Amino acid sequence: MSKGLEGNDNRGARELGAEEKVGWDEVTQGVVLHSFVGESKNAAFLKPEERVYNDFNSYTATVASWRIIKPIYNRDICIDCQNCWVWCPDTSIISRDKQMLGIDYDHCKGCGVCVEVCPTNPKSLLMFNEAADNDAELENWPVKEKKAK
Amino acid sequence: MTEIRWHSRAGQGAVTGAKGLGSVVATTGKQVQAYALYGSAKRGAAMNAYNRIDDEPITNQETKMFPDFVFVIDPALAFSDDITKNDKPDTQYIITTHLSKEDLIAQIPALQDKADRTYVVDCMQISLDTIGRAMPNTPILGAFMKISKMYELDFFLENMKKVLAKFPQKIIDANMDAITRAYNEVK
Amino acid sequence: MAKEFELNEVEVWDGNYAASQALRQAQIDVVAAYPITPSTPIVEGYGAYVANGYVDGEFVMVESEHGAMSGCVGAAAAGGRVATATSSQGFALMTEVLYQASGMRLPIVMTVVNRALASPLNVRGDHSDMYLGRDSGWIQIDAFNAQEAYDLALCAFRIGEHLDVRLPVMMHQDGFTTSHKAQNVYPLKDSIAYEFIGKYIPVDDMLDFSRPVTHGAQTEEDWHYEHKAKQHKALMDSRTVIDDVFADFKELTGREYKRVESYMMEDAEVALVLLGSSVETAVLAAKQLREEEGLKVGVVAPRCFRPFPYDLVRDALDVSSLKAVCCLDKSAPGGAMGALFNEVSAAAYSTKARPMMTNYVYGLGGRDFAVDEAKRIMKEQKAHADAGHITTDIQQFSGLRGPKLGFFKTRRD
Repeated sequence: MSKGLEGNDNRGARELGAEEKVGWDEVTQGVVLHSFVGESKNAAFLKPEERVYNDFNSYTATVASWRIIKPIYNRDICIDCQNCWVWCPDTSIISRDKQMLGIDYDHCKGCGVCVEVCPTNPKSLLMFNEAADNDAELENWPVKEKKAK
Repeated sequence: MTEIRWHSRAGQGAVTGAKGLGSVVATTGKQVQAYALYGSAKRGAAMNAYNRIDDEPITNQETKMFPDFVFVIDPALAFSDDITKNDKPDTQYIITTHLSKEDLIAQIPALQDKADRTYVVDCMQISLDTIGRAMPNTPILGAFMKISKMYELDFFLENMKKVLAKFPQKIIDANMDAITRAYNEVK
Repeated sequence: MAKEFELNEVEVWDGNYAASQALRQAQIDVVAAYPITPSTPIVEGYGAYVANGYVDGEFVMVESEHGAMSGCVGAAAAGGRVATATSSQGFALMTEVLYQASGMRLPIVMTVVNRALASPLNVRGDHSDMYLGRDSGWIQIDAFNAQEAYDLALCAFRIGEHLDVRLPVMMHQDGFTTSHKAQNVYPLKDSIAYEFIGKYIPVDDMLDFSRPVTHGAQTEEDWHYEHKAKQHKALMDSRTVIDDVFADFKELTGREYKRVESYMMEDAEVALVLLGSSVETAVLAAKQLREEEGLKVGVVAPRCFRPFPYDLVRDALDVSSLKAVCCLDKSAPGGAMGALFNEVSAAAYSTKARPMMTNYVYGLGGRDFAVDEAKRIMKEQKAHADAGHITTDIQQFSGLRGPKLGFFKTRRD
């Protein structure tokens, strides 16, 4: 699966639940889960791909295999309204400086909410079978629908 | 060990009085307990407070006691409470009343054979005259000092001032007057 | 900076006031509380200290005890030194959150003033609420009088906050009997008390933005068991830290505490095992019986209810002269032998002496425990010892009106 536009090395590095099962002596005190490896000063001001996520952070897990259908994103039509970024329940719309960059396919579960909320005509996001070829579908993107009179 | 049982109504300051006495006693190197049985009692309900005083640390946590002194700080309780409960042959009674000792004893069968160890003092009238309201808890301690000879009056007054230090000077002075009057008037 | 509170060398304090002074000296950051009889004055006192500038902290008013403990969990996870107080029904309402606090390893200190659990409604002291907490994963330390309520509240912070422990601590005292009984208390000066407790060292605090953390994660069967085992290990291992803190406290004050207090056990033929303020009454009774009748009676009192001091209870009962032991439970056992009986008997089973074990339920709802009654029970143990077998029912009831109530006979002779 594609890493998305700026995914770093350990995003989606393992299947969710496939982390190493350590013994009682190695689990964290108080079931505390650290977001990052070591200190991460100013983490709030770093892009996700610049942060060093911990193995137990969901960023390093992937749920791509859960998906039956997937959204494909068409940059040529998108107006960067950020509606999909706001609505996505899995933070899987990648956007920088209010410019939409694409889908985080490691965390997208294929719910289709982004397509529902996309206001353009034709839509800038459409759902396809998981096995569909992104480039081929972009070639055959639907054209603008005329308003019914 | 000296043991004291207070008969009071909730709101008359028996707990404060018992703790005040305890605080004075503790400054002289003795060990004290001051406690009460009230729980969810409402203002006006009959209740007991207790003191234990000893030279050694007191470990008896039993509530019941066989008192050396009984303080009755509400006049009506002398008639309605079982004030001679767990009495000893030398238990002494200090009772707040406007009656003379003879008249009081004549009306309370349980005190008939205890005239030589029953004392009366009108802490209600004394506190009304000095403090301005019915607050019999501090005057009874003045009477107690006279009867028990536990401490000299002046020593007790000085130490009670410290116990009452959080109150305005006027209240402290009124309490000192009340204690002194009860010390002088107890019979 | 908080103002210093002027204290005399000896004060006449009740257990509630003593505990509230200890909380003040610990300079707690947050108290979230919902006052309930008989522990109300602890919270009231703390509120007054905050309002009058004796503490630099926050008093958080909440809508229930569930909210109180939830507030404590939040404040402790954020990285503050946190405490609260409760009793009885309030304790029961907190129970759900008590397990969160211990599982999240948050060293909250709770001063519990033991009170009966309804129904029937009752404000007086017994150990129902203390027993309710016994599987909650908290350290439970028991004070027998007001001085101990002060001393052990100070120790509670040191124990719970120790980096090898990091567990919440309940400091128990008996409702009314201790909480409302004023006695001589010898407090430490503010600066000395604070120095003993030490500055709070946060661990995995949520307000440390350089190390963001998730608290309260969900685990299913693949992780839960390991976490609970680690937590149990920490609780069991806290025994040595408790011993060390008590040793430091003795060095500072001369007042000695042990995880299990034992009195006159060296040559004891019979013994009582019990908790709380009744321990003092029982010791007095044992001394009197030794003087009056030459009866060799001892008393054993687990100061530390959790972690249960299996090791030291066994040591205290491993006396070759010991023949009969009675464990007294001040909580309605609800269809079982008393919890103290069960746990002490288990420890006694691994001694060489293996004394006869019996159980009394007593003092429910604040029923007075008298010196004479303690003596009667001690003499009954002597009768078992002389007969060579338990001569009564194994579980009996002390100070109960009505026909004699008892359960189970021994099969040992």
